[in-house]
Amino acid sequence: MQIGSKAAVKEVIKPSVSISTKSNKSFFQRMMSQKALLAMSLPFLVWLFVFKYVPLWGWSIAFQDFKPARSLFDQEWIGLEHFKFLFTDDNFWRVLRNTIGMSTINLVLGFVTAICLALLINEIRHIKFKKSVQTISYLPHFISWVVAASIVSYSLSLENGIVNIVLVNLGIIDEPILWLGKEKWFWVINGLTEVWKNVGWNTIIYLAAITMIDPEQYEAADIDGASRFQRIRHITLPSLKPTIIILLIMNLGYILESGFEAQYLLGNPMNLSYSENLDIYVLKYGMSMGNFSLATAAGIFKTVVSFIFLFTANHIAKRFDQPRLF
Amino acid sequence: MAKKFLPVLLMLILLIAVVGCEKDKETSGNANGSGDSKDKVTFTYFNAASPGKDGNTNETTIGKIFEDQTGVNFKTEYLVGDINTKIGTMIASGKYPDVLVPDIAIDKVLDAGAFIDLTELIEEHGPNLKKLYAPHWEQMKDKDGKINFLPFAAKHGYIKDPNITQGAFWIQRGILKEAGYPKIKTLDEYFALIEDYKKKHPEVNGASTIGFSALTYDWRFFALSNVPNHLAGYPNDGEVIVDMKTHKTDVYADNDITKRYMKELNELNSKGLFDKESFVANYDEYLAKLASGRVLGFFDYGWQVQQALDNLKAAGNDDLRYMPLPITFDGEKDQYIDPPAFINNRGVGITVSAKDPVRIIKYFDNMAKEENQKLMFWGIKEETYSVDDKGKFFQTQEQYAKTSDEDFRDKSGLNTFEYYWPMGDMLYSDGNAWVPGKQPEVAQVAYTDGDKAILEAYGVKVFSDLFADPDDRPWYPTWSAVIEQGSDAQIFGQRKTDLTKVYFPKLVLAKPGDFDKVWDEYIKEFNTLDVKALEELMDKVVEDRIKAAAK
Repeated sequence: MQIGSKAAVKEVIKPSVSISTKSNKSFFQRMMSQKALLAMSLPFLVWLFVFKYVPLWGWSIAFQDFKPARSLFDQEWIGLEHFKFLFTDDNFWRVLRNTIGMSTINLVLGFVTAICLALLINEIRHIKFKKSVQTISYLPHFISWVVAASIVSYSLSLENGIVNIVLVNLGIIDEPILWLGKEKWFWVINGLTEVWKNVGWNTIIYLAAITMIDPEQYEAADIDGASRFQRIRHITLPSLKPTIIILLIMNLGYILESGFEAQYLLGNPMNLSYSENLDIYVLKYGMSMGNFSLATAAGIFKTVVSFIFLFTANHIAKRFDQPRLF
Repeated sequence: MAKKFLPVLLMLILLIAVVGCEKDKETSGNANGSGDSKDKVTFTYFNAASPGKDGNTNETTIGKIFEDQTGVNFKTEYLVGDINTKIGTMIASGKYPDVLVPDIAIDKVLDAGAFIDLTELIEEHGPNLKKLYAPHWEQMKDKDGKINFLPFAAKHGYIKDPNITQGAFWIQRGILKEAGYPKIKTLDEYFALIEDYKKKHPEVNGASTIGFSALTYDWRFFALSNVPNHLAGYPNDGEVIVDMKTHKTDVYADNDITKRYMKELNELNSKGLFDKESFVANYDEYLAKLASGRVLGFFDYGWQVQQALDNLKAAGNDDLRYMPLPITFDGEKDQYIDPPAFINNRGVGITVSAKDPVRIIKYFDNMAKEENQKLMFWGIKEETYSVDDKGKFFQTQEQYAKTSDEDFRDKSGLNTFEYYWPMGDMLYSDGNAWVPGKQPEVAQVAYTDGDKAILEAYGVKVFSDLFADPDDRPWYPTWSAVIEQGSDAQIFGQRKTDLTKVYFPKLVLAKPGDFDKVWDEYIKEFNTLDVKALEELMDKVVEDRIKAAAK
């Protein structure tokens, strides 16, 4: 809905801008003839301005020794001090590693599992079974992270955790393992938790894309004697490609958002060096110390990195002549 | 048709949203009321320190009496959600309740200049307040000499809390019973007792017993990191110990005492007596474990495990309940009980939005009278407490039950006024304890038969009798020192916590042979931190407080 609307905005604005340089008359004429379209796009322009551009003013906080409830003129300006603090802090680089590590795992796992599940669900012919699989896989998405984290931490617990019980009884491990205490395992645990919670939800968009595929293609393939697997490989997957690429580009922009709640709630002293991510770092050294300037500086850093990732991904897609965002 | 309608609707919503953002008209301003009238007036009171039931003070028995005396009623509101968010929103909007208890967010409130200076108001309208806070008058002043808020609990005299609400090593009573109630003082004796008992009783209620557990979750990590300090015979001064002679402060996280305690836990772990889940369990899991009766011993602060202790008490099996013990490394004199301290970084203040500060200060002044303080804490004579012929306050079983009932406490106002208002502590001029919980006669009414039996076995009247009396430490507690936001000292504190959180589990769970290696690694990293920043600040705090107390 949103993406579509933004595209609409552009289509309206672009020509009018280019025409305006030529002649004012035709510009106004065009505008009058498209007034309905313009009126419809206005709310989104206002929204964009109020919620995306006005807050940019707040970035100035990063260059001050900001104290709340004081006017701009009473603030002390200290230049790049806060950025210096960030880039010289070993902890910052550690949390950055964790952030990128975890979000890469989340991204890859999230894509693969969601696409696989969508393909599998699509192949189910029994409608009632299909619906119940979908419902059950959505469900975890609607529980709050606090509850989800408790479920995970109980299932991984040393004594009564189902994971340990199953693994011990199957003979895969000799004695129960303190999963949440194994620091290097945290990324995996976090990735799997993320998948369990969101896989059902993430499949929705692929299932929607699959319904758009022309059934005649499948019929034709059937007549040519394609097996189920061949139909998936040669019809479903290629048809999903544009969706996958667009989503991938958009998600690359969020590479520094590895989530907050899961890490915060599942983190403990033993896995701290691998569980702490950028958001928790900002909370600790920025918000809870009242150092809003530092928090803002970290925010700017995040935005710049996301920007670079997004543009690079988009550029690569353009190079290879694939669908892209802009 | 619907297609056309949707954008129009969206636009309307947006228009309303934009227009709705227009700033509310300011209604505040410090009107100078006469303050003498007894006209009915309602002020707002926000308590960010604790959850509670919103309401009006005049709907409670005690609040009604205060309203009759002063004409003032407070509409009380309590914190829901995150304190920093709530106070942050208040500061950003510049709109405050008339009276505010900002708890840990007090620095932000002071930074924003949200409290009015009370000095003159008290001089002019608060003779009783002045009397109540007289012992601490100098300590209450901010750097610029202003009194911005009234701290809680002005101390008058000293009385020891009969029950242990602060730190202690706790042990299951059944263990003591089986061992014939030995008097144990040292850490080795304590762990030996647990080891012995666990061998004989590997299971409780069908689940395996846990030798020793610890709480490490989130900010409650201090329940582990503070222990070496207590074992060395110091009270809870936070991150530092203060030398009694030179008054120099020392961050002890890298000291021998910390190494020794970690080593003890490491050995405990290698014997299978340490609860490995200590480092991954959250606060609820920890409490549940204690309440299950599987844990034989643990160190913690009484207030932090109260819920689990209450559950065990209600369950009725006395052997599974815990006894607090004053354990030190080698039997040094313990300092588990807090020295008489004046906490001057928490309090109640009148904000710049207050409509009539004079009326409010007069209400506070009325509250500060001794008879009204007794009303706030003890309630109404003959209904919630009685007085014997020597003038000693006590409670009968029925009165105790009544004042323990939450419903009654809400209706009477005992909950509303039990803290977070101008108040005193320790002893009234007639020798009674300021709050009922500290009166030994009241504590004894609450004891069960099991409590009485174990106290008798140790030959004491109340639990705190086993603990040493606190020494005089005018700087106590240094953890209440105001550390500037974002300062080097504060950043050190955070980094130190982060580092200890990573290394303490490693130290405890390491193979005994690797312990020294891990410790050296830890010290190497610790030495890169700016420890001087905190120690220098704390030296100054201690010095200032000694000076202020001498005045």
